[in-house]
Amino acid sequence: MRDTIVIGAGLAGLMGALALAEAGRRPLVLATGHGATHWSSGTIDVWGQAASGGPRAAVAAVIAGDPDHPYARTGVAGLEAACARFRQVMQAAAYPFVGDLHSDLMIPTALGAFRRAALVPRTMSAGALQAGDRVLIAGFRQLRDFYPPLMAQNLRSQGIAAHGVYLELPPVNRNLDFTTRSLAQCFDDGAFRAHVGAQLARLRGDASHIGLPAVLGMRHPLDVIAELERHSGGQVFEIATLPPSVPGMRIASILERAIVAAGGRIQIGSAVLRGVADGDRLTTVISEAAAREQQHRAVRCLLASGGIAGGGVRTDQTGAVWETALGLPLAAPASRRAWFASRSLDPRGHAIFRTGVLSDDRLRPLDQRGVVVYRNVTIAGGALAGADTIRERSRSGVALATGWAAGSRLAAIEA
Amino acid sequence: MSRSLTADVLVIGGGATGVGVVRDLALRGIRAILVEKGDLTHGTTGRYHGLLHSGGRYVVKDPQSAQECAAENEILRRIMPHCIEDTGGLFVITPADDERYAETFVAACRACGVWVDDVPLAEVMRHEPRLNRKLRRAFAVRDAAADAFLATEANAADARARGATLLTYHHVTDLELEGDRVTGARCEDLRNGEAVTIHAAYTINAAGAWAGKIAGLAGLDIAVVPGKGTMVAMNHRIVNSVVNRCKPPADGDIIVPIQTVAVLGTTDIAVPDPDVFGIEPDEIALILAEGEHLVPGVSRMRALRAWAGVRPLYRDVAAVDDRDIPRTYKLLNHRTRDGVAGFVSIVGGKWTTYRLMAQEAVDLVAADLGIAIPCRTAVEPLPPVHGAPKSGHLTLGGRLRHVESEELYGDVICECELVTRRQLVDAITTGGAANLDDLRRDTRLGMGPCQGGFCTYRAAGLWHELRGADDAGGADAAAALTRHFIQERWKGLAAIAWGDQLRQQRLDELIALEVLGVDLLPAAVIADGARHPTVVTEHAAIATEYHAE
Repeated sequence: MRDTIVIGAGLAGLMGALALAEAGRRPLVLATGHGATHWSSGTIDVWGQAASGGPRAAVAAVIAGDPDHPYARTGVAGLEAACARFRQVMQAAAYPFVGDLHSDLMIPTALGAFRRAALVPRTMSAGALQAGDRVLIAGFRQLRDFYPPLMAQNLRSQGIAAHGVYLELPPVNRNLDFTTRSLAQCFDDGAFRAHVGAQLARLRGDASHIGLPAVLGMRHPLDVIAELERHSGGQVFEIATLPPSVPGMRIASILERAIVAAGGRIQIGSAVLRGVADGDRLTTVISEAAAREQQHRAVRCLLASGGIAGGGVRTDQTGAVWETALGLPLAAPASRRAWFASRSLDPRGHAIFRTGVLSDDRLRPLDQRGVVVYRNVTIAGGALAGADTIRERSRSGVALATGWAAGSRLAAIEA
Repeated sequence: MSRSLTADVLVIGGGATGVGVVRDLALRGIRAILVEKGDLTHGTTGRYHGLLHSGGRYVVKDPQSAQECAAENEILRRIMPHCIEDTGGLFVITPADDERYAETFVAACRACGVWVDDVPLAEVMRHEPRLNRKLRRAFAVRDAAADAFLATEANAADARARGATLLTYHHVTDLELEGDRVTGARCEDLRNGEAVTIHAAYTINAAGAWAGKIAGLAGLDIAVVPGKGTMVAMNHRIVNSVVNRCKPPADGDIIVPIQTVAVLGTTDIAVPDPDVFGIEPDEIALILAEGEHLVPGVSRMRALRAWAGVRPLYRDVAAVDDRDIPRTYKLLNHRTRDGVAGFVSIVGGKWTTYRLMAQEAVDLVAADLGIAIPCRTAVEPLPPVHGAPKSGHLTLGGRLRHVESEELYGDVICECELVTRRQLVDAITTGGAANLDDLRRDTRLGMGPCQGGFCTYRAAGLWHELRGADDAGGADAAAALTRHFIQERWKGLAAIAWGDQLRQQRLDELIALEVLGVDLLPAAVIADGARHPTVVTEHAAIATEYHAE
């Protein structure tokens, strides 16, 4: 009987479900959709600011300075354990990540800015360019989500000899609407890859590196890259661009397969409507099915339904803020007037986006008085209060660490 | 750096009225230069709800305005059908309204010559299924939805084709005076700080809500009251026709279906300065609460954006409050009024009467200049413009038909508003756009549900390729453009960001910060007041809608 429920199929929910499955708990993942992973850059970003000692030291400093930060619930050790398991799973699926918690890699965005990431898929790692590197940035005009000349010029302004070109789209038998996803499917075709490789060989010039949008195949991107490198003679890397994110989809599908292989089940399209409790134990989770409600016995439950972006936290015009699945109490600004800063990109962020569930040191939900609401529930990812992870650039790091920790701790709870 | 230009007539203000004036001048062969401190339609024209008045709104309290509107409505339908969607309009009596007002309203419509027709409620509900089922009466009128961006662009294109010069981002800093005569103006080109002097035999002040500021430069006092009106755009067309409350004019009494959205309007609050105003939470709450009387449930639907425009109300009689100031316009001849020659101000009015206002101003100026060519704007059709149909009225679905017939699926840069690559390329290469917000006015870029989350980067990429690739600062400019547009869109979001729209905003943040790193580029922050050659960011003269912290 599946009596372990995971709510949410983003990075936190999937990592939590993996921990539960590997501990023999046969989790059932209920989710409305695929979570924010499909919108993401596809790297694991631990902390956005530089720190001597790298992201590990940055997180240690965050925990020391802010005992309510989600990282304080996992500790540095929890983050390390999560990263280690994540890397193993990705490696086993032939989608290896490089990097560690001692230093960040600086990789370029589609705008040509350099952003820091702790773990980067091998498909992107050659993008950690150095001043003096010579790089060709290549894309397709048919892909409206990537502009090589713009990116190249911004790289040049940072001391990198970059040149941006558009490739001719190889002949394809499909409609004219090219998204990142449909281009990734094109790269599964050998003739398509050969055509692109030949163009790169011709256009590379003296460039040592070649950057392409992150569309180099859905299932076997390293093979695609190897083939393009053979043709062109340059080191090929992917660059994350607008959603939908092919690197994000790869991560989600690898984790989903690992969960299923370990005995878990994933049910997308099942919005959780509410929970039923007996005192401080959640007993039942009720989800939406076709024209009826479905009841799930819950001996243990991981809530990883996301924050405002993921849909786990909803708001309305009166300033009301609620947690959508279990109706847990939230830490939120007192009124709508306190939700926003006046500048959209204010580095301090907007207070409303820090809204989430307060948790104790075992990631169990707390009410306003600090009392544990349900002893058999843990919280992970964007649903946690205490951080604006997009401003911090810690979103995937927090999801990974808290998801793994919340799943591991939950697994120990007995009926 | 400085430049000097000469024309017969200088027009100040690039809204509907000023552009209408410059087209009228051009049609009469009078050499004219128009200056506008922002982009065309940057002020009130680009911030209004898009109603082509039937006159019905004014029949009871302001019959002269009603008659003007009714006449101009028919003229504009003839000369610019491609900028007007013939939605029709309704005046409805809700359970919250006084049913006796119906007779007053109908009698006043008849007296003013405003077409009105009593419509059976069953028929109203068939056409407008979301309207309140408890409506008591409904009357059809000739209201319609006008795209003020397209209309202004059409007027501007025609004026240019006939020899007029339109200078955007030219901020008037002083009027030139010789004795008791205005002989032109000194401007600053906000894009590069250049001083530009324009000499003209006549100056027409068509600066709308800013007309008082312009007249003040000549030491003249004209009582223009900037009346702030706040509006809320809903993310789809909740009504098919313009729907008005049938009662004396009040806040939140109208819904206008315009292009892909429906606009709930408006409030009316006097503000001391047309450049400094905010949107108050109370205004939004009131608009949504009033909207509930017309469309039950509207306050729980997804709002896209809120914004405010400032009406150019002219107070020449004692009025108890702003709503009592007549909505008609006034031509002020400063020679006869103040002893200052070569200078007129055209004040008050509304979008629907822009052509008539232009005609009256140009009639006076032409007579003074000894030019006897009559006005032709009432009969001369406006030329086609991008984004408008080549024949017939504007229709919802026209853009989709275009995309489908040309199979432009992969070329849709802004999916929400179906803006194609071709449209943007044309706007970037041929127009006077200085930033992405100007492209928005040209093409509707970023005006839909995602409010620029996806198309901002795409438009910046195209902009860079077409304008900046060879310029050393080109890519930097594209990043600055991105940040500028994100902030411009944000101004209208904070007031209504809750529910799905707040979630959308968070996704947009994820894209801007995590995926693109728009804040991570060198020189990421443009200092306040700093200039960029192509990006006019936040010059005090054109930065409107300040929000209270």
